Amino acid sequence: MVDNDTRVDFYRQMVRIRAYEAALQANYHADKTPQWDIGAGLIPGEMHLAAGQEPVAVGLCANLEKDDAITGPHRPHHLALAKGVDINKMTAEIYGRDTGLCHGKGGHMHLFDPEQHFSCSGIIAEGMPVAVGQALAFSRKGTDNVAVAVAGEGAANQGAFHEALNLASMWKLPVIFIIEDNDWAISVARDSATPIKDGSLRGTAYGMPSQRVEGNDVEMIYEACKTAVDRARAGGGPTLLEIHTVRMWGHFEGDAQAYRGDELAEANERDPIPAYEKRLISAGLLTDDQAAQIKAEAEAEVQAAIDFATSSPEPKPSDAYLHVFA
Amino acid sequence: MTATVDAGTRRVTTAKAISEGIAQEMRSNPDVFVMGEDVGPYGGIFGSTGGLYEEFGSTRIIDTPISETGFIGAGIGAAVEGLRPVVELMFVDFFGVCFDQIYNHMAKIHYESGGNVKVPMVLMTAVGGGYSDAAQHSQCLWATFAHMPGMKIVVPSNPYDAKGLMISAIRDDNPVVFMFHKGVMGLPWMAKNPRSIGPVPEEEYTVPIGKAAIAHEGSDVTVVSLSISVQHCLDVAEELEGTTSVEVIDLRSVVPLDREAILASVAKTGRLVIVDEDYKSFGLSGEIVATIADKDPSMLKKPVERVCYPDVPVPYARVLEYEALPTRDKIKDAIAKVTA
Amino acid sequence: MSETITFPEMSNDPDAEGVVATWFANTGEPVKAGQVIAEVMVDKVSVDVEAPIDGTITCLIEEEGTAKQGQEIARID
Repeated sequence: MVDNDTRVDFYRQMVRIRAYEAALQANYHADKTPQWDIGAGLIPGEMHLAAGQEPVAVGLCANLEKDDAITGPHRPHHLALAKGVDINKMTAEIYGRDTGLCHGKGGHMHLFDPEQHFSCSGIIAEGMPVAVGQALAFSRKGTDNVAVAVAGEGAANQGAFHEALNLASMWKLPVIFIIEDNDWAISVARDSATPIKDGSLRGTAYGMPSQRVEGNDVEMIYEACKTAVDRARAGGGPTLLEIHTVRMWGHFEGDAQAYRGDELAEANERDPIPAYEKRLISAGLLTDDQAAQIKAEAEAEVQAAIDFATSSPEPKPSDAYLHVFA
Repeated sequence: MTATVDAGTRRVTTAKAISEGIAQEMRSNPDVFVMGEDVGPYGGIFGSTGGLYEEFGSTRIIDTPISETGFIGAGIGAAVEGLRPVVELMFVDFFGVCFDQIYNHMAKIHYESGGNVKVPMVLMTAVGGGYSDAAQHSQCLWATFAHMPGMKIVVPSNPYDAKGLMISAIRDDNPVVFMFHKGVMGLPWMAKNPRSIGPVPEEEYTVPIGKAAIAHEGSDVTVVSLSISVQHCLDVAEELEGTTSVEVIDLRSVVPLDREAILASVAKTGRLVIVDEDYKSFGLSGEIVATIADKDPSMLKKPVERVCYPDVPVPYARVLEYEALPTRDKIKDAIAKVTA
Repeated sequence: MSETITFPEMSNDPDAEGVVATWFANTGEPVKAGQVIAEVMVDKVSVDVEAPIDGTITCLIEEEGTAKQGQEIARID
């Protein structure tokens, strides 16, 4: 059970993440000239936002320490923010600035924060074997740190997922595999790609405790992650959690989502943040004014990060040749 | 540091030199460990980890399931967290099932992170043919790996360099792909060139990555080569002593490529033969020619002769495979052609 | 003092043919006790052969030549 202060904190963190994603969405499109040109604007390239998936990040990261590791997918912002990655450096990286986490070398899909042991990759499922390796390192060093690999339900059909689960189970490593099932792998519905309804069967198949979590509820997700993290820390080995969440926006910014039909509107009705806000207000833990205050603070923090980014220098062109080798 | 080789230095196989280099680093650094298929009691199918399991046991010499993406990725994750894994890809030809982890992750994480995350990992792998292992088990492929930025590549041709390069590779904070040709390992179950057995000092020593060696000094023609082909080139150079003065450059590393050594030798001789068991087109031999052309094509008195594996998959039958391999006869013909 | 080195017993089949795959020291060279002087193989299993004493080695089998288990393969004087 989660105490009341924590519940409000969960809400605050989810609001913060949503404010971030919303601001990035607005800014990503705002200055694209021509509007259809993905390479134009202050935030060029692809953009994958996690509106709707905030409960997963917040429920998970509430169980993690700084020295626990996360490998995230191409849709990483909610995880990075919940983990504790510096919002200014992260934003500067997304804006391609020298003050970014990676001096502009990585961008939105390749955020590396070694202090937080946070990394993400644009190749589906390929962060999973790396998380296994981080867990292997923690286990060899004798710490009780854990590694978490986060990927989508589409990734669970990739070879790396299966190899990673098998290795983690065989070597009884302190790694937690989180599958964010948001129903869509770009335009392909889960039911068209995965023949089993309950993906937690795959964890069982590899000999590890396994659970599917419905409801996209931050507190239930927190509890499920807590069990898994505690198990890993105690030397009990890996866990697979398949967490049903919702992708409220497109796969990428610019995705017209015609393939979703009526489901898109229905999915947006499942927005987890207003639902949680309502619960907390009913429970007397939050007032409308406090909610508005939390939102305003989040938006201000996000704007400050964007200002930091946009006022930061770009890297020198010759920096392109740096860092090939240490 | 280099080490002296004197008359009393004991002789070992390249395979033993590699496993000894790994063992010595493992004794002095608890962060070094080995993962791969059959690297444990079996000692590696080409002998690269012989004796290690007996000395260090199963916690540091780890036999993996057949999961290259999985365990190479695990090596990356362990390296990212400060350990120094030596991971074996049994045959380089298997890179197809795991190349994403290699070229998109191992090789790129340092760059993508703006220098903030290191991947101090050695990926060692067996390359090469000449014993009828056919198209999927006989390739060299250093050019394929070299083409992708972010990983160093070393290719020893003899036991002394093999041990020194392995120690350098383990100590390097970058990902190093250590490619050993099966034919230079000195294995008892494969025909071998005597140069696969050689004097190797018992103490630790390093051979620098990125520096070629002049394996045989000469003045009439430069022969640039690597891996097992160096052994063939030396055989030819010794045979031609008195007739043609052949300078053999053993590259030892493909990335970084010692362009200065190549240019210095060609400036001296004006004639270039490249001997490379990897596929001819779109690869290392072309890169060496480009190195000359970029600097000063007038250095060359004759066109370059490339003695490389042709652009065909490796055939099974010995007569077919040896038709294609860069053999001593072909090397001699090439030398004759450029010095005519 | 002189000692002969015989091909090790490695196979249950006493008639199994082995091969002296590699000599690490050549005839006339000095060797030390414990030094690995050869690698021999029977049925794909290979072992190192060590010199039992210090001395000068004479190799009795050619490299890659066959020998039976128990056969003399070298002498150290």
